Amino acid sequence: MRKLITLFVSLAVLAPAWGVGSAARAQQSQRPREGAARGASNAAATETLIRNATVLTITRGTLANTDILIRNGKIAGVGQNLKASDRARVIDATGKYVMPGIVDAHSHSMSDAINEGTLSVTSMVRIRDMLNPTAPNLYRELAGGVTTLNVLHGSANTIGGQNTVVKIKYGRPVAEFIFPGAPPGIKFALGENVKRASSTVLPGQTRRYPATRMGQEEVLRDAFTRARNYKRAWDEHRAAVARNEKNLIAPRRDLQLEPLVEILEGKRFVHAHCYRADEIIMLLNLADEFGFKIRTLQHVLEGYKVAKEIAAHGAGASSFADSWGYKIEAYDAIPYNAAVMTRAGIIVSINSDSDERARRLNIDAAKMMKYGDLTEDEALRLITINPAIQLGIQERVGSIEVGKDADLAIWTAHPFSVYSRVETTFIDGDIFFDRQQDLARRPELQREREELLKAEVNRPPTEGGAQPGAPRRRPANHHDDDDVDNGEGDNHR
Amino acid sequence: MSLKTFSHVAARSVANVFAPSVTNVVLRGGVGARRMSFALAALLLLSVAPIASAQQASSTMGQQFMSGTPGTYAIRNARIVTVSGADIENGTVVVRDGKINAVGTNVAVPAGAIEIDARGLSVYPGMIDLGTSMGLVEIPQGANPTVDVAEVGDMNPNAQAFYGINPHSAHVAVTRVNGVTSVLSSPSGGIISGQAAFINLLGSSPQEMSVERTAALVVNYPRAAGGGGFGGFFQQAQANPAEAATARDRQVEQLRKLLRDAEAYGRAMDAANSDRTVPRPDADVVLASLVPYVRGERPVVFRADRESEIRAIVRFSEELKLKPIILGGNDASKIAAFLKEKNVPVILGGLFDLPSREDDFYDVLYESAAKLQQAGVRFALSTGDQGAEVRDLPYRAGMAAAFGLSRADALKSVTLYPAQIMGVGDRLGSIEVGKIANLVITDGDLLEARTHIRHLFINGRQVPLNSRHTELYDQFKNRK
Amino acid sequence: MVASVASSPTSWVARAQRSAIDTYAITGARIVTVSGAEIARGTVVIRGGLIAAVGANVAAPSDARIIDGTGLTVYPGLIDANTNLGMPAATAPRPGGGGAAAFLAAQQQATPAVSSPNSSQPVGLQPEILASDVVRPGGEQIEAARNAGLTAALTAPREGIFMGQSAVINLAGETPQQMIVRSPVALHVGFTPLRTGTYPGSLLGVFAAIRQMLLDAGRYRDANAVYEKSPRGVRRPDQDKSLAALVPVLAREMPVVMYADRQREIERALDLAQEFNLRLVIAGGAESWRVAERLAAAKVPVLLSLNYPRRTTAETPEADPDPVRVLRERVDAPKTAGRLAAAGVRFAFQSGGLSNMNDYLANVSKSLDNGLARDEALRALTIRAAEILGVADQLGTIEVGKIANLTVTRGDLFARERRITHVFIDGRPVDLKPAPAPPAAGGTAAASGSTRASASGTWTLRVQVEGQPERSLTLTLQQETERLSGSIQGDFGSAQIANASVGASGDIKFTVPVTTGTQTTEATFNGTISGNEMRGTFTTVGSGAGTFNGTRAGSTTPQ
Repeated sequence: MRKLITLFVSLAVLAPAWGVGSAARAQQSQRPREGAARGASNAAATETLIRNATVLTITRGTLANTDILIRNGKIAGVGQNLKASDRARVIDATGKYVMPGIVDAHSHSMSDAINEGTLSVTSMVRIRDMLNPTAPNLYRELAGGVTTLNVLHGSANTIGGQNTVVKIKYGRPVAEFIFPGAPPGIKFALGENVKRASSTVLPGQTRRYPATRMGQEEVLRDAFTRARNYKRAWDEHRAAVARNEKNLIAPRRDLQLEPLVEILEGKRFVHAHCYRADEIIMLLNLADEFGFKIRTLQHVLEGYKVAKEIAAHGAGASSFADSWGYKIEAYDAIPYNAAVMTRAGIIVSINSDSDERARRLNIDAAKMMKYGDLTEDEALRLITINPAIQLGIQERVGSIEVGKDADLAIWTAHPFSVYSRVETTFIDGDIFFDRQQDLARRPELQREREELLKAEVNRPPTEGGAQPGAPRRRPANHHDDDDVDNGEGDNHR
Repeated sequence: MSLKTFSHVAARSVANVFAPSVTNVVLRGGVGARRMSFALAALLLLSVAPIASAQQASSTMGQQFMSGTPGTYAIRNARIVTVSGADIENGTVVVRDGKINAVGTNVAVPAGAIEIDARGLSVYPGMIDLGTSMGLVEIPQGANPTVDVAEVGDMNPNAQAFYGINPHSAHVAVTRVNGVTSVLSSPSGGIISGQAAFINLLGSSPQEMSVERTAALVVNYPRAAGGGGFGGFFQQAQANPAEAATARDRQVEQLRKLLRDAEAYGRAMDAANSDRTVPRPDADVVLASLVPYVRGERPVVFRADRESEIRAIVRFSEELKLKPIILGGNDASKIAAFLKEKNVPVILGGLFDLPSREDDFYDVLYESAAKLQQAGVRFALSTGDQGAEVRDLPYRAGMAAAFGLSRADALKSVTLYPAQIMGVGDRLGSIEVGKIANLVITDGDLLEARTHIRHLFINGRQVPLNSRHTELYDQFKNRK
Repeated sequence: MVASVASSPTSWVARAQRSAIDTYAITGARIVTVSGAEIARGTVVIRGGLIAAVGANVAAPSDARIIDGTGLTVYPGLIDANTNLGMPAATAPRPGGGGAAAFLAAQQQATPAVSSPNSSQPVGLQPEILASDVVRPGGEQIEAARNAGLTAALTAPREGIFMGQSAVINLAGETPQQMIVRSPVALHVGFTPLRTGTYPGSLLGVFAAIRQMLLDAGRYRDANAVYEKSPRGVRRPDQDKSLAALVPVLAREMPVVMYADRQREIERALDLAQEFNLRLVIAGGAESWRVAERLAAAKVPVLLSLNYPRRTTAETPEADPDPVRVLRERVDAPKTAGRLAAAGVRFAFQSGGLSNMNDYLANVSKSLDNGLARDEALRALTIRAAEILGVADQLGTIEVGKIANLTVTRGDLFARERRITHVFIDGRPVDLKPAPAPPAAGGTAAASGSTRASASGTWTLRVQVEGQPERSLTLTLQQETERLSGSIQGDFGSAQIANASVGASGDIKFTVPVTTGTQTTEATFNGTISGNEMRGTFTTVGSGAGTFNGTRAGSTTPQ
């Protein structure tokens, strides 16, 4: 390994260049340490030259024996025999593959709460408020070559909350995770999960409406009708202000309806959890009627049955590679779904909906070459540029092109091979995962543990430690997440 | 592992809500659709059936279509990955009477054999997953009537998977067309869940599928240790420390007592059989079912992930002279030397689990296979999945290889090793003369996700590469 | 002793009131004024509840009761900067009949700790609630605080999102009116979702609900301004005291205390305060040192909890080792105060729900060992608290004219062997009792003589989730006044209970962490204890609900 990654850097540069190590270091302790973030941010100013790799550009084919120059967080060059300044970090990637960081269009990682399931329309809630930048699974996802996540509200209700697109800048302050300029979005959900969320009530309480797919349509129709009324009220008010009318009282600002108005105005993406063909059609028709677009159908496991209608509407589709049969509405799921929809002209992505599965989206995409015979490039797009397009961030990520963000991963073999493994993951030119650094830090972590265990507060009472105290009283505001969909906890399909 | 086994509990808790819609949905997606698409699929296969000698194959396909076509086959010009020995380039495998009849470069093709030109293709033994509940669970969530995996009560040694397996489950075909041809299908409830069946994934009845009808006793070893959560009433198999130890010990004691009773029962029966003066005890189906296990004649599969549980199981098994196999085994690599010393095999079911402790290294489960291999522990890889995702087995082996296991061992860990662990290494797991002809013919590395499977043999029958999925695909792919 | 206090909590006050002589002089003592230089040997004169004189050359008035302060040190009365002292807890009526529906009905009729009549908002979102309206004098917790040397405290309602408005109280007085030093002080915001199955039922909804109410309050203010200017032709805005209560908050006239410990919780609070231009105060602040720069820049003070994390369960060989993060948190806790001071963050200490008030000063001493300067520590116990809580003219230093709250010790305040010898509140000495020993492991708990229902003991609970078989669990409880601790265990695991309390009428409440896969949520149990029986309902966010009933071990169930 050592001969493969060589550092042509002076000692003076070494510290900031590999300072990102402090971010990766944080994973092992699963907690950013003091100063870790600051140390890491210096690295953005440095250059990196990845030499002699096989580069899967996604948009411009696969390039053999190619260098990638990273400067100030951006891809500054892709070609042969590129030159970097002598301060650059140089990585010899001979025999290795470089692909863009994987974009997972359906994640619930790093969210302290996932569902606000008490109401059927919770467009006012924001995942942005819930982000936990220290969630250990983020690092594990980086180790699978994932760099961008679409963190979504759960599927407990028809109109869920606002999503947030993040880069996994693990170890950095949460504000640095937010994907700059990513268009805002929102989660919708149809089908069984919404029905199920209304089934668990205390005896004697009324069930939450709706309990059927019929009611789900009604909830949507009612919500967008109210949103239209709301927009009109504000339009009238603004007109009155413009006329200099006196004694005006502005309409109430309604955080529930504002995002819906944004949807009607085409300013907010709808990511709609759906399974069955009928509910997909219902949603597309309703959106057409109200004059807005569904940006992505999420899961959309029966999309293959109504691919031409999806294509006609212009929705993207973000699906599982081959998950099926885990509930009734998933029983008609087939792994050919992505291929059928791709052939119909739909922008298709493969997502994880799972902190675990996110770590091997490369293999999920590889399967799509088998199921329906997508080409390698088509399959690669499913986890790179296509989800980027779906999230409106394709100008920055999803392919290896000069000028784009340097979000990429170095793999030991073709990422579609089961024998491949991520060696290094970059975001904005900084290293957020590096296997060799990870391995090197392990003994250090063990030493730290031993050191900490010597402290009085950490020793058992029998070894002179403090008596155990009562549990700390704190507001119980953590982990209210529950996904009603399925009991696996990490999965919200 | 534990995550996977939970879903049936969730399913049960919402089953009442979904009961009315189940019939409806199963009809919609099930029987009707299948019947229609059978015809379509058959037509399609006729038109495609590429490299195989299409006429011969089609002539034998008729009503027995989905149960495979028996016959004598010669797979020629293939790269033969025998697993047990060296790879054979450009060789021939002859299949006859359900068995592998000949293997080699210089093999005579029997007269009348259906020839399959496998030029450019590779022949592998079918893969084996020992951590499934194949055929016992159709739809885990919201469709309780399709779930037959967990009996009521804690001690059900005589609940036999064999009697619950639905040979026509959609999972069966979906799994085999990805190259997994045999599985151990285990019940999962209570403490003694029941007895697992070792089956081939082809047949119209459990009899036809069965390799070992009662292959192993399946035990959820009572657990108390855990990470501080309280799974309580919503989740089986969540573990925890301290105070729960007493409850755990009580359950272990129950288990011990039942096994000792069975051992005594077995001896008393033997005594009565050999000596007429000895009174014959009343027959007892429960105790009788345990006798082969307490005598160490057949293995006991213990589901356990944590180090302390695995150690306890090994001690318990020594005390009671059981033949233990660990299923799950997420912590097994931490005590590899111990497992080697005790010669306890492990079915690793959690390779794709998230590490359970926040300080765990990211690859702790990816590399556990390599660590067991290095320590000389017998192991097999498993999906630990009930059914739908058992077809992902090869990719787990691939991941293990990416993290230190040799590719040869990775392949063995899903073929020969599981066969050996289950005591059927003489019949399955490699391409050797005399073994059951479970063969997978591919256009590439068996473990690679991109690889297509071109032909499939189970029990020496050529099996169409159809499944619920291909049928639905065919039905809709050209919808205009 | 305890019993007599509990049954007649105001006896000492009554005695003090009968005494017409309220002039005291502590002579010959070391005086740590905090406001100025330390006086090595001097006199403090107290008259009419106020500090009348202080200095090295001050003579004791002839009418004063003299306290020989030789060998003693006089400090400004210590202030606990955030508590629930004197605040009522929720009570539930005794459930009648049987079955889940009856329990549910009982729960719905349950009387919350405090609620505002005719509010437009549900309980939990009623910012108009005033601690000063509901504070009750007396009680063991107030006594325990005094015994630890505390003389005044910020107190706020216990629960909710908009929890209500706090008051600074002196920890003595026969009536609420006598106790209150300043009210209202701040709006308190907790981020605990409503557990009634109504919105907001998650942290997501909590933030949205806070935002919406703040926006509504702004509109309320604007609409009323328009209306008051010229009611004619303007539709009359609804009168809404919940929204009205937020108007001073929006105007930055009233600070907002947000409960936040983790870095991300503090950052969320900072973001929210920034969004609405609120005057933020952080309460808790365990990881505030990680955000110190931003706190200092935004001039946001911290009410820093002295309830440092400790090992909570006895380890067994089978338990997972504590993660490094947790080990580090325990080691880091005493460092926080020093780090805040170094970063220029204003902070004051609070008890943060400490179960043993002996730890209050002991934990400050640990912070001294971990980088906190003595004078900073002293300020954080006195004048900083007074400043942050807006009572710096009344409390926090030994200066003439201030309220005569004094804490007198033998030995230095931070020395291990120091003893609190006198506490003056509002110019009157307080009877001190040795602080109770930490609760015994077995939990003998139930305060003898208390009218409170006793919850201590081992309970067998039968828990029923609809559609699932009944399960049996063992609940072990230790009670300390109304506060409960304990554990629950069943076939599938065990856990420490949290947020536990038992009320005077026997209502009991606690939460249990429920781990499903990698996610953790919690089950909330609400019930009533009657004798050796317990029954009630529980809910688990998103997962379901059910009923439980139980009996105490060692009791024989009638019938």
